[in-house]
Amino acid sequence: MKNFTKILLLMLALVSFFARIPALAAPGDKVTGVVKDAKGNPVIGAVVSDEAQKAYTLTDDKGVFSINPTTARITVSCLGFQSKTIAVKAGQHVNIVLEDEDTLLDDAVVVGYAVQTKANLTGAVSTVDVGSQLAGRSIPDVGRGLQGAAAGLSVTLPDAEVGSDARIRIRGAIASIEGGASPLILVDNVEVPSLQVVNTDDVESISVLKDAASTSIYGAKAAFGVILITTKKGAKSEKVTVSYSGMWSFENLAKEYDMAGVNGLKYMLDAAYRAKASYNLSADNEQRTPGKYPTDGVRVGSYFSTDAEAYQRSLEWWSKYGKGGSVKELGPNDPIVYGRDWYYSGGTNYGVRIYNIYDYLVRENAPSDQHSVNVSGNTGNTKFNIGLGYVYQSGMMKCTTDDYTKYNASVKVETDVNKYITARAGLMYSQREKRYPLIAESTSYSPWLYLYRWSPVFPYGYDEKGNIFRGVFSEATQANTASMKYNYNNVNLGLTIRPVKNMNIVADYTFSNQEYIQLLPGTTFSAANWKSTTPQPYLDDNGNQIYVDHDGNPVPSTAEGAEMAYFFPYQEDYVQNQDIHFLSRSHENSYRHTFNGYTDYTLSLANAHTIKAMLGMNLSTYDRTGQTTRVADLSNYENPQFAFGTGVWTGSGKASWESQVGFFGRLNYNFKDRYLLEANLRRDGSSKFPTNLRWAWFPSFSAGWRIIEEPWMEPLKQHVNTLKARVSWGSVGDQTVSSSLYIPQITTGQNSWIGSSGALSSYASTPSTVSDSITWQTIKTMDAGIDARFLDSHVGITFDYFIRDTENMIVPTDGINTVTYGASAPKANLGSLRTNGWELQIDGNWRFGNGLGINAMFQLADASSKITAYGETKSLSDWYVGKTYGEIWGFQAERLYQFDDFELDENGNLQLIELTAADTNDPACIGKSSFKLKPGPNGEKPVYQSYFEGSSFHFGPGDIKYKDVDGDGILSRGTRTTDDHGDLVVIGNETPRYEYSFRLGADWKGVDISIFFQGVGKRDIWGQGPIAVAGFYTSDGAMAAAFADDYWTVDNTDAFYPAAYNMGRDTGVDSYNYLKNDRMLLNMAYLRLKNLTVGYTLPGKISKKVGLSQCRVYFTAENFLTWDKLRGLPIDPECVTGYSMWGSNYAQGWTGVGTPVFKTMTFGTQISF
Amino acid sequence: MSMKKILFVVFAAIALGACSKIETLLDRPALTTTVDNNFWRTEGDIRMYVNGFYPLYFEGYGKDWDQSFAPVRGGTGFCDDFVSEGTQSRFENKVPTSRGSSSESRSCYEQYYGPSWGFGRIHKVNILIDRLNEHKDNFTEEAFKHWMAIAYFFKIYEYSDLVGVFGNVPYFETTVTDLDFDTQYKDRDNRQYVMDKVYDMCDYVLENMRADDGANNVNKYVAAAFISRFMLYEGTWQKYHDGETFTHIVYTDANGNKTNKIGSGAESFETEVVCDGEHAKKYLEMAVKAAEVVMNSGNYSFGSSFKDLFVSETLAGNPEVLLYRHYDDALQIRHPIGSYNSGSDSGSNVSLEYIKSFNCQDGKPYSISTVSGANDFSLANLVKTRDPRFFDTFWGQVNIKSNSMIYCYKYAAYEALDALFKTGDRLPNWQGIYNTNDAPIMRYGEVVLNWIEAKEELAESYGGAAVTQTDLDKSINALRKRPLSAAAAAAGVKQTEALQLNNLPNDPARDNDVSKLLWEIRRERRMEFLHEGSRIKDLYRWYKLDYMDFDSNPDHYLGPWVDCAKELGNGDDVPEINKNFLNQRVNVLTVQHADKSVVKYNGTNAADMVGFYCVRNASNRETFFDRSYMAPIGQQQIDDYKMRGYVLTQTENW
Repeated sequence: MKNFTKILLLMLALVSFFARIPALAAPGDKVTGVVKDAKGNPVIGAVVSDEAQKAYTLTDDKGVFSINPTTARITVSCLGFQSKTIAVKAGQHVNIVLEDEDTLLDDAVVVGYAVQTKANLTGAVSTVDVGSQLAGRSIPDVGRGLQGAAAGLSVTLPDAEVGSDARIRIRGAIASIEGGASPLILVDNVEVPSLQVVNTDDVESISVLKDAASTSIYGAKAAFGVILITTKKGAKSEKVTVSYSGMWSFENLAKEYDMAGVNGLKYMLDAAYRAKASYNLSADNEQRTPGKYPTDGVRVGSYFSTDAEAYQRSLEWWSKYGKGGSVKELGPNDPIVYGRDWYYSGGTNYGVRIYNIYDYLVRENAPSDQHSVNVSGNTGNTKFNIGLGYVYQSGMMKCTTDDYTKYNASVKVETDVNKYITARAGLMYSQREKRYPLIAESTSYSPWLYLYRWSPVFPYGYDEKGNIFRGVFSEATQANTASMKYNYNNVNLGLTIRPVKNMNIVADYTFSNQEYIQLLPGTTFSAANWKSTTPQPYLDDNGNQIYVDHDGNPVPSTAEGAEMAYFFPYQEDYVQNQDIHFLSRSHENSYRHTFNGYTDYTLSLANAHTIKAMLGMNLSTYDRTGQTTRVADLSNYENPQFAFGTGVWTGSGKASWESQVGFFGRLNYNFKDRYLLEANLRRDGSSKFPTNLRWAWFPSFSAGWRIIEEPWMEPLKQHVNTLKARVSWGSVGDQTVSSSLYIPQITTGQNSWIGSSGALSSYASTPSTVSDSITWQTIKTMDAGIDARFLDSHVGITFDYFIRDTENMIVPTDGINTVTYGASAPKANLGSLRTNGWELQIDGNWRFGNGLGINAMFQLADASSKITAYGETKSLSDWYVGKTYGEIWGFQAERLYQFDDFELDENGNLQLIELTAADTNDPACIGKSSFKLKPGPNGEKPVYQSYFEGSSFHFGPGDIKYKDVDGDGILSRGTRTTDDHGDLVVIGNETPRYEYSFRLGADWKGVDISIFFQGVGKRDIWGQGPIAVAGFYTSDGAMAAAFADDYWTVDNTDAFYPAAYNMGRDTGVDSYNYLKNDRMLLNMAYLRLKNLTVGYTLPGKISKKVGLSQCRVYFTAENFLTWDKLRGLPIDPECVTGYSMWGSNYAQGWTGVGTPVFKTMTFGTQISF
Repeated sequence: MSMKKILFVVFAAIALGACSKIETLLDRPALTTTVDNNFWRTEGDIRMYVNGFYPLYFEGYGKDWDQSFAPVRGGTGFCDDFVSEGTQSRFENKVPTSRGSSSESRSCYEQYYGPSWGFGRIHKVNILIDRLNEHKDNFTEEAFKHWMAIAYFFKIYEYSDLVGVFGNVPYFETTVTDLDFDTQYKDRDNRQYVMDKVYDMCDYVLENMRADDGANNVNKYVAAAFISRFMLYEGTWQKYHDGETFTHIVYTDANGNKTNKIGSGAESFETEVVCDGEHAKKYLEMAVKAAEVVMNSGNYSFGSSFKDLFVSETLAGNPEVLLYRHYDDALQIRHPIGSYNSGSDSGSNVSLEYIKSFNCQDGKPYSISTVSGANDFSLANLVKTRDPRFFDTFWGQVNIKSNSMIYCYKYAAYEALDALFKTGDRLPNWQGIYNTNDAPIMRYGEVVLNWIEAKEELAESYGGAAVTQTDLDKSINALRKRPLSAAAAAAGVKQTEALQLNNLPNDPARDNDVSKLLWEIRRERRMEFLHEGSRIKDLYRWYKLDYMDFDSNPDHYLGPWVDCAKELGNGDDVPEINKNFLNQRVNVLTVQHADKSVVKYNGTNAADMVGFYCVRNASNRETFFDRSYMAPIGQQQIDDYKMRGYVLTQTENW
């Protein structure tokens, strides 16, 4: 945080130094100046005139002009540049920098079926600065570029897997319990299946439509906002430009892989000693007291265990062979040696060596590159754009194929056939392929999970005989490559007819098709197999038993400490089952017809009234079919082909279709550019609803008042360039729900019963329970906003406040006793949800006379949703009325218990007593055993937590003391209802709140620099798994270093984490020290340096000499710095538990154990000819 | 302006044309599902719907990790056969916060080896009954009756299970509709009322179900076999719980009807008898009748060894098996139950108390047997001298993976254990979740045992015909005549002698309220059904839950006779998996000598470590009470009823 504050202060200092507001000049005096472009080249032939148009002149070949203006302001304009008006003083010499015309787009905003000037916009629409968000960033797709790009647009990257899609939400995490929440993504008004089909360099503009007034024109699919992307259509002036951009990147983990080493073994053992102490019923008080636990016979760890002796050997090993070890530092290439690295005793394998699986699995400096070529031109009546893109991205897995490749190609042609007709056509193609090692078909145990699973003594690598050891390393090395391939193409044709002035008739038709192919080739795994064999005595070439010492050196059997050596037999094809012996290929084809047609007419009356009317329709159909073929067992796994299939063939298929039709009309009214009104009406039909519910009307309205244009605001006009107030209200129907809500359906398929024919049985399901009175969900949004620009438009502010009501929300029918009803309650439109939020965006840019340009942008948005109707339930775990979406209920943790809290016996030991009414006020604790607590200062009975204890867990020193919030002397969860929640309080909320981003940029004499930060102000999660929960299933062994380094022991009583205990592996941990509580809640707030770019553009003179019109080289870093509040846990703060492109239950639903997030360092160049 | 006109006409034409097509365009019904109304056309449709019940009820060894009712892993471990280290698992000791599910899935409520509170499967079966009635015209009378009998069969199954766990439960004759709150919130019906409904359906089933509906499908005999199980359960329950009552609050509404709707009329407590002899007799007679349907068919006999019933790759053609679940690796239908029994998976196991309940080969318990070695409880001797089922169920060597040292391998092949003990290697097909040995769902062995028990109960208490020697020969003695497994034969194991009515063993350990014959019938069940889930249910119905108080017999905390130095030391003949165990258990491992003295291994007294293995830290379970015979329902459910204005009565004594 400190670094960032410094940078901010520095930027502010720069701003205040350079920014000066020019004073007014007296009319009639001579003013001289130089006009240059943004790169510092003189602009020749620019027209310089005063406001009265009385005086004008042209700049000479050095860009110099001289003028005697009759007004206080002069205007400079030139073809290809934005005009600029500045105030001047008599005799002043001014340096004027003209911006390229392209940036004019800033003022034109693409909205539904139209382009609107920003000034006249009445809805809540944000535009994305395409230049800085997308160009020159080493991001493989547009989705990632949208993170932090617009206030109210929430883009999360819960999955770092290359080729995965970003998760996009507009205004809040939820819009409806039943329906979807994803915005409609349109590229040139056509829905796309993924943002990855768009070539980043083809994007011309991106608008984010947030309120119902803006989105309603898109109808029923736009209930959760619209992201509107337009692509480049060709050059604006008569020329052909060829540009190339290329970048070369290296990826490394974004967050340090900080897992416990030797300390983790200590934690595992401490947890096991404690369990034994509790388990041993005959144990006396002493044995139950921390620091005095019995250690004999305690062994812990799966497959390769540790115990007191092995732990000592591990410590010794570490001092000899660990980092900076006295003998030698062993690395991943050093073999696994018996005696030194592991040993076998009493039927158990013990691990000694400390391995870091990172060294075996994670690729460092993973290379990626991207190239794109763009040809755009304009000749005669025709303009065109050709875009070609290539992206290659490495995954982070080292020992195998793990990557993502994407090709994009697009062509756009537009020609004016005659005065009345413009015809256009386009093609878009994209192929993307993700490849990854197929270790098992199921991803519930993803290979990445093994970075966080086994204890540090679990061996990887090769043994002394040169055989690879069984494990994720061997399997990732031997796995065949699975792939997911998408071929997307679309073709569109369009026509614009202008029968009369101010009237357009526009019709566009698009056909798009996506093919998806997933290939899963199984394999065979072979390795030194410790899992299903017992170690064999290790004999030398003469058949004599080998004996080794603790360094693994062969010694005579009689030598002191000599141990019989063992090895694990090498086993070919040890996984004899269909999890890996198979070949499967899935194929899916989906196509979509889209037709958009509309006509608009603009009428201007008396120079004051402008009326624009539009009528139109849109139609889209979607068809999808797919099937899978699978064969068990191949005769050849080197070349996995169906031709080698030897086992049983299985297959399945699927098909779905849907369609939507809408008719819409829009009326805009503009009075003197001062009062703006817009009304939309739409009639929507969707195939998802039964005939009688199919059609519905959805109106919306918005209004804007450009206050600054009022005559009475004239005095302020010098300072305020734009000031506009907006309000809007609108409703949109949601049809993202399933049609099974309306129709009782029976699904058929095969189940797991094998019939007498030897095949799986066909079955038909119980028909679904439905309510026939169900109808559309309606999303109504009220939005109020202000847009303002100050200081010659250098600084702008936009603020929006909105209330979005999800009415008629589909929820389960209230009051049904589902237990006896025997099915889930049918759903009906009985619920509602309200989302409140606001968005703030501030931007500024200055171009100083000396050519220095700086710009800054800041965005902040927040939204939260509350249930406003659901039913009668008051249960905290249900959607009770008043519930804030994402809230987490739990206890407040007061602190850790210390010995001082307990009544010790004469030997200083804890006393396990059976509680009676004399000990506690809590009836739930009476009869349970707990360690005796001291009474309160005034002799009150202590608050026992016995109810939350288990037979092998008693709260003792080092465990969490929860707060008796209501002060009744009882720690209780009540009935977990809003009326009776005992000591439970809301301790956090898992939705991201206060999402913010800011960008600072500067350029001067061809050098440009920009930094872009993005963050989330507040988000909490109740974590799962070995790096989120201290003590999570310690018998597997892996844990975050933060736990192992700072847990309570008798020697570390002011630790943050509680005393060691094996919490088991249940997901949904809510017990013992991990009863949901605020101390152990994970704070997922973060600030991330998403992008840092330093570029240099060669001066025009130099680049022209080598035939280039522009040449820029740059360095950029993505994800380079992260500040979070996770206390050193190796969890990426953007992660969402269990979320993955592979579907649900990914990685056991444990937090942060998925594909590691990486940072990227990139060198790139942009050239145009 | 002509341009404008032309365009107008063109657009209007397109618009008109489009509008007529649009409704068609929007008509896109689901492609891959069938609407309820369009189903139920043919027997094929009904069969598909019924197939949905099969994996639900006939779980066998489960599938993959889904093994709720499966042996070894499911709830079969909670009974007096097994002992675990530390404190024994307890009965439920408080009313749960919530207990209730609307789901169709059937998970095992372990303490009762039955389903938990929920009527999802009743919904599923009532749908079938309702739809059959609605679409009656689509079927011949024979087909209609058969499928109705099938529907009744699953309803019988579910209600018998629910009554077995909870006693009184609400009975739903037909599908409950979403707005029929009075039915949704009805109170529990008297178990006799429910079981009388079940009884009537049993009659219908035996009358109307097809005798053959294709191989390995539910038919009259399969249904009859299950009916003998359910009716024996309820019949003996009614007998041994005779006179038990159930008290609940009722309100009298304006029409004088009794209801559980709060506030409607007068409130009163009502006590009903839920168990009596009359019903015991009725149900036991049905049990006998149903069993005889199977026995008189002549379709079934005892043609395979006990072992082969559980470890065969296919049970097709096995004359003892009425219904089985088939597993096939190629279809990825596999289970892990064999692996859990394959020697290297650890777990709880039987106690000396169970071992002692086994007959020796002369058909007598150890205490009165004349077989040599009757009093030798070393495993090597036990497998040779006891009923052959011992050999087929327990491995003849100590295995440290069992916490009582005796290892049950009922569900794994002899070869798997043999390989493990000889070479230390696990056979690949007895590992992981990839086992494919078939699971018997219903076998003739159970039918004859149900039959003989019901018959004897009727004879003893309700004036039934006395059991004859022929009856014994058809049942218990037929089981004892099963062919020996190859391994057992090779080891010299002999078939157990037949039970003679005129020379019934008089076991000194017999409860004095149980007759000699009934005692032997119960023993036979215990030997036959280890790990099949029936033991705890037997205790419930016989009113013998006190067997679960392990302090009543210290044998519950012991294992077999072990010579630690020989069997757990580091000698060459000690199998690899047991090697050196003794030395890893210094100051931990204890044995009990014949004179009941207990000795702990201190590192040097290996020679003295010969005796009954003491299960580590084993101690009695939490005290339980009479209420434990039936399960409580969730407080949440009672509160839910109350919130909606109805009363749901908690299980008696909870």
